[in-house]
Amino acid sequence: MRRAQSLTWNRLALAASAAILVAFIGIPVGALIARGFIEGDVLAAFRSPVATTALWLSLATSAIAVAVAVVLGTPAAYLLARHAFPGRSIVDTLIDLPVVLPPVVGGLALLVAFGRHGVIGGPLDAAGVDVAFTTGAVVLAQLFVAVPFYIRAARAGFEGVDRRLEAVSATLGASGWRTFRRVTVPLALPSLIGGAVMCWARALGEFGATIMFAGNVFGRTQTMPLAILEAIETDVDAALAIAIVLIVLAFAGLLVFKALARLGGRVL
Amino acid sequence: MIRADIRTTVGSFDLAVDLAVDREITVLYGHSGAGKTLTLEAIAGLLTPRQGRITLHDRVVFDSSAGVNVPPQRRDLGYLVQSYALFPHLTVAQNIAYGLGHVRRSERRERVESFARMFGVDDLLRRRPARISGGQAQRVALARALVREPRVLLLDEPFAAVDSSNRRTMRRKLRQLAQRLDLSVVMVTHDLTEAYNVGDRLAVIDRGRVLQAGPRDEVFRRPATARAAELLGVQNILPGRVVGSDGDRVRVATGLGMVAARAESRPATDHVRLAVRAEQIILERPDRPSTHRENRFQVTIIDEAAFGFSHTLVVRVDDAASGAPTLEIDVPAHPYQVLNVPARRDWRIHIPPEAVHVIGE
Repeated sequence: MRRAQSLTWNRLALAASAAILVAFIGIPVGALIARGFIEGDVLAAFRSPVATTALWLSLATSAIAVAVAVVLGTPAAYLLARHAFPGRSIVDTLIDLPVVLPPVVGGLALLVAFGRHGVIGGPLDAAGVDVAFTTGAVVLAQLFVAVPFYIRAARAGFEGVDRRLEAVSATLGASGWRTFRRVTVPLALPSLIGGAVMCWARALGEFGATIMFAGNVFGRTQTMPLAILEAIETDVDAALAIAIVLIVLAFAGLLVFKALARLGGRVL
Repeated sequence: MIRADIRTTVGSFDLAVDLAVDREITVLYGHSGAGKTLTLEAIAGLLTPRQGRITLHDRVVFDSSAGVNVPPQRRDLGYLVQSYALFPHLTVAQNIAYGLGHVRRSERRERVESFARMFGVDDLLRRRPARISGGQAQRVALARALVREPRVLLLDEPFAAVDSSNRRTMRRKLRQLAQRLDLSVVMVTHDLTEAYNVGDRLAVIDRGRVLQAGPRDEVFRRPATARAAELLGVQNILPGRVVGSDGDRVRVATGLGMVAARAESRPATDHVRLAVRAEQIILERPDRPSTHRENRFQVTIIDEAAFGFSHTLVVRVDDAASGAPTLEIDVPAHPYQVLNVPARRDWRIHIPPEAVHVIGE
């Protein structure tokens, strides 16, 4: 009897601590959404140029950033998953670095490299190409902070593909490229898509590196997070509207990611 | 004809294999970790040996001195890996069709269907590998490997995931298949019964070396070394010294006393080992006088174990020198009952000289 009772108390204690955390995250998010719909006129704010312009710019830049991350990150992830080479752990750590680095530091680093006098920006400037404080800089900032999320997931996905399947594919006459397309990628696909979704969510929310490297120019570099910063002083409803959009997109992205993770576990 | 003469090191494992395989089934037999799978991988091109030469039907696919190393996809062989490795994201039909990328669509379908029929999996074509049994997976994997019509088939423990009732028919089918498709087959197994049932030729591999290779019965009857004899399931290996020979008889002094062996000629060395299979030793009826004049021993049963179809007796030879090995004798269930073995411990045994194989090393 005592035992059963203490079990109940244990469970209560667990539930209480979980409840505190759920409330800690849920209440602010819920309050923000409630405030937007009850006290302010969020629906009208959705039509304000600040919100709509930022929304489209965010969607466009984050889509490009994800596309570049997938194109460049997939071979890198495969290389890390399948091959040993000198300096591999350094490359691996370097790719993870933006995850733990303050984004502002990343933005500053990009500015130093791509600025007019930087190692990359110098030659580009001589060729007449400006990078810093352009829409292109927004994409680069997003790519910088978000690409590790894709590479990590893709790498784990590739590592999960049974190498014997690739070996068998080769003995069945498939070239390395055909094996990659027909066996490796399909089997790693849930991880690849999940990684791309996380990468996109991170790119969409990018703030620190963007404001440092691309500035906060309406219509050119002002993505949704930057627009919130500006609108909070002039048009609170617009700020709330943008915030709600970001919450919904982030939530949806996570749901997709988790669904794919479950699917991946079932298929493989 | 497959010829693989290769040498390589994987981690701390040293593989030095010389293997010749003709148009028949060659079984590569050895304990796990002996280098069987590595040998198959080298033949398939999945593992690049440090040095050596591999030819498949007169085509050089690997030659370290000439810098030849044909990649696996162009070696034109079928490879059935352990536990089959079917592509889990493809249906059975897509698995079988996988290697037919170069074939026209209509013909591809025809070939997939005909091979699926040949292996009795034509009613599973739309299923995924997760939804078929181990035996079905094995047949799908075989169809997938053979639909490309290779001349060489490599099999790695092909019967391991098949239940024993299906094994016997699969073995028979494999032999028919090899003949029909004119295949050279190399099959890896650690199961002695399987090695015996399937192989035309047998190669015994141990610690990265081929100890002995040859026609199956030859290898079984005449192991070249004591280790090969041990791996081939010879339970009785007796050290001894040749003390004379006349005609086809060699006389060997052992701890059990004098043993006569049948041998074509006197071995090169006098220090030999005698290999005697447990099932070749005869337990004589105690109520009748023995008709044999040589290799008769009075023994005492000291231990016994039953294995369903037969009984294994461990006996000590009564006049043996101290420290002499005991003998194992297999007695099938029927004679065991007729002789009423449990009734007594003292027996007379006879070892036919033709059952004694002399290993000179």
